[in-house]
Amino acid sequence: MTDAERTTTDRGSAEGGRAQRRGLVRRLREIVGDRHVLTDPADVVVYEQDGSILQVLPEVVVLPASTSEVAAVVGAAREANVPIVPRGSGTGLAGGAVPAEGGVVVSLARMTRIREVDLRGRIAVAEAGVINLDVTRAVAGQGYFYAPDPSSQAACSIGGNVANNSGGPHTLAYGVTTNHVLGLEVVLGDGTVTWLGGRVPDPPGYDLTGVFVGSEGTLGIVTAAALRLMRAREAVRTLLAIFDRMDDATDVVVQITAAGIVPAALEMMDRTTIEAVETGAPAGYPRDAEAVLLVEVEGVREYAERAAELARQICVRGGAREVRVARDEAERQRLWKGRKGAFGALGALAPHYYVQDGVVPRSRLPQVMREIAEIGRRYGLRIANVFHAGDGNLHPNILFDMRAPGQLERVIAAGGDILRACVAAGGSITGEHGIGLEKKAYMDLLFSPADLDAMARVRRVFDPDGRFNPAKMFPTPITCAEMRRAPAAIPAGLWI
Amino acid sequence: MGRDGLVRRLREIVGDRYVLADPADVVVYEADALPLTGALPDVVVLPGSAEEVAAVVRAAADGGVPVIPRGAGTGLAGGAVPEGGGVLVVLTRLDRILSIDPRARLADVEAGVVNADLNAAARPYGLTFAPDPGSQAASTVGGNIATNAGGPHCLAYGVTTHHVLAAQVVLADGSVVWVGGAASDAPGYDLRGVLVGSEGTLGIVTRALVRLVRLPEGARTLLAIFDGVEPASRAVSDIIASGVVPAALEMLDALTLRIVEDFVHAGYPADAGAVLLVEVEGVADVLDRLADRIRALCARHGARQIRTAATEEERALLWKGRKEAFGALGRVRRGVYLADVTVPRHRLPEMMRRVAEIAARTGVPIANFFHAGDGNLHPNLLYDPRDPAAAAAVARAGEEIVRAGLELGGTITGEHGVGLDKREQMRWMFTDADLEAMRRLRRAWDPHGRLNPGKVVPQ
Repeated sequence: MTDAERTTTDRGSAEGGRAQRRGLVRRLREIVGDRHVLTDPADVVVYEQDGSILQVLPEVVVLPASTSEVAAVVGAAREANVPIVPRGSGTGLAGGAVPAEGGVVVSLARMTRIREVDLRGRIAVAEAGVINLDVTRAVAGQGYFYAPDPSSQAACSIGGNVANNSGGPHTLAYGVTTNHVLGLEVVLGDGTVTWLGGRVPDPPGYDLTGVFVGSEGTLGIVTAAALRLMRAREAVRTLLAIFDRMDDATDVVVQITAAGIVPAALEMMDRTTIEAVETGAPAGYPRDAEAVLLVEVEGVREYAERAAELARQICVRGGAREVRVARDEAERQRLWKGRKGAFGALGALAPHYYVQDGVVPRSRLPQVMREIAEIGRRYGLRIANVFHAGDGNLHPNILFDMRAPGQLERVIAAGGDILRACVAAGGSITGEHGIGLEKKAYMDLLFSPADLDAMARVRRVFDPDGRFNPAKMFPTPITCAEMRRAPAAIPAGLWI
Repeated sequence: MGRDGLVRRLREIVGDRYVLADPADVVVYEADALPLTGALPDVVVLPGSAEEVAAVVRAAADGGVPVIPRGAGTGLAGGAVPEGGGVLVVLTRLDRILSIDPRARLADVEAGVVNADLNAAARPYGLTFAPDPGSQAASTVGGNIATNAGGPHCLAYGVTTHHVLAAQVVLADGSVVWVGGAASDAPGYDLRGVLVGSEGTLGIVTRALVRLVRLPEGARTLLAIFDGVEPASRAVSDIIASGVVPAALEMLDALTLRIVEDFVHAGYPADAGAVLLVEVEGVADVLDRLADRIRALCARHGARQIRTAATEEERALLWKGRKEAFGALGRVRRGVYLADVTVPRHRLPEMMRRVAEIAARTGVPIANFFHAGDGNLHPNLLYDPRDPAAAAAVARAGEEIVRAGLELGGTITGEHGVGLDKREQMRWMFTDADLEAMRRLRRAWDPHGRLNPGKVVPQ
């Protein structure tokens, strides 16, 4: 029996369950105050979804304001024997914050304090609900920044970034969230509050901080994080290269990194994306180009200038039809505009898109890009590619219309084929969006049953009741509870 | 199954030659590089494959005896000392480099591959394995993983955990699993990160997929000579603050300089208060400009002389003193206790003052040479091992240094691991709840505490 199933069967009869639920809501109101417990369907409906298209209506949403309130909420949920689903800003793309098995959704959105900024030690301690961009805003004036920059950074929270080990365009040079988290304050299933890690990199003992980063709320609730701040770069150089052939553009990506340049960002957009951008939010890209490559290098002035010039030469030699170099910050913003607006612009081509998140070794990019195009042809679907080419993190966006009968099934099948192509090329099923509900069925593409059991063992010691964010991440069979709650739009047996 | 039964079974698994049970044979394995600590294993076994390791672990489990993994035995914290006896599993026969993929910049290696051998194999492709612990000519990749080893070039490249993508691990029940994956940041729990640095208490790493980095196009190495540790420390802060990330930024203090120069003749001025060894790497045509910047910053903090290596020979000579410093210390005092604390970089000057005070108060001579760029100190406490009073004073001084580091926001070990040596000090750094979270994790995989018992987490 899986953890999830055990929890479900333990949850008792429906009648007793309702009485227990009333008791739980009362208890939650005592802890956080009436205003911060939502049970009315009109209120909780806002929390039925995250950035994915999966929906499950929560029973109770609670918004604690402090670590001790979170610990008390966890205690109350334990006594009532119901699941706990932590939630940040709900911008996640894999259904990680969807309450698949019901229970209490714990929103950390009120924990927005930056508790400490230590510029000499280059550390900020931020509560889980602090918005990513607010960390940088708090220190930018003094010449520092927080490096992980997911596209949702104006909305997503530090706690959500930690849960998903989020990346962003600048991951190539700076690494993902786990490389910028020194320590975590967590509430465990038994209500214990503890700090994992600390304020120095690579502390002795087991790297539990690393285990909690990316655990998607399945081991406990992160309430605060000690974050590494970085010194703002002395110089930034940005250039945009336009290619007539996608293969040339992917080759250039390989050549730039092979030349020993580590760009801060190396972003690619394909022809379909260019069409969307030019239709929805024009950025001055030629509509007949096959690929646009955005290259940004940062560092001390001497390096940035030289590296930008080298990158420009590689682009020209590699067949770029045109290379635009930003001469000032305004021009830099213009070059980035198309990339930043790309996802929004996809709406100009289709009512819905499903963003995939695969990873392949950089050297296999040209081949996998061809395979993705072939998958699109096979299923009769348009796929727009906007992605972090430098680290081989692909974001194929499958365009579709949810109302067209049979399209969603084809989209899901095509998404699965893309992930299988990535794994076959030596890659992975997610670069930065997490597993959540969406990808749990694909975990066994990467891990053997014994590998997964080693993870399940970790989960069992921290969360023996399987209470934290059940039914996520592990490739468990679909349970009765999931079937009952699954919205009709989702074909049985599949999560997207 | 008694000891004889166990030995018989081990011989069946790996062959007679690779099981050592005679006290005269096993005595070689009683200690690692931590001085003054040793214990005899009941039996030493040298398996030749992951399957053999798994079978050995199962045999030990059936016999109810502990299993202690060991690489090259160069560890400085007693991690490979079989404190309570048991089966010592030596991984040095697992020494095959299975593949090097220059396009993907990956190497697939067995745990017993020597760090320097991997580098030699990667060099023809213009690649290298970045972690470069002082022991790299002898230490194994498996040992580097167990202790999350660092080295002088950590400042730019990070420690071992940043270079291990995946590992094959034999767990306490003899199951063989892979953690991590070929692409970085594999989904699911980061078990790879937990295994790295777990010192053989969670599983035995038998094989690893490691990242190789491109050899730099060029390097510039500078040696700046200062009148004291404080101005040198301030120069370190300014170099980092300027945005230059040197590949290495090493400091040697006055006592070290005197001892080293006597032995190595690297041309270090014997009367200097401190020297900084700074190396920048990367795209060739910006190196001179970066070196100019560093020279200017050192000069601003009163460097009395700054030398730049003009040739590879000169570079090797500048490094020679640093690389052979530990050996040189052994010439003046037979006993050297090498401490390993890290403090936030901006606290370096204060920490160095405290170390000097501790040396003065306890009468223990302390020579410092260390990774200044990442605040990782290596105070070397010199003593005569035949003098029991001196050994006690060293232990006291070592404790005081660690406590001083913690007061300044540091940690009890930068890169050598916890092992036996720092086990009790874990309590100084972590709360009971923190340690209990670590114990939980250990129970998840090793419920009977059979793998390297007593190490890392205090009971």
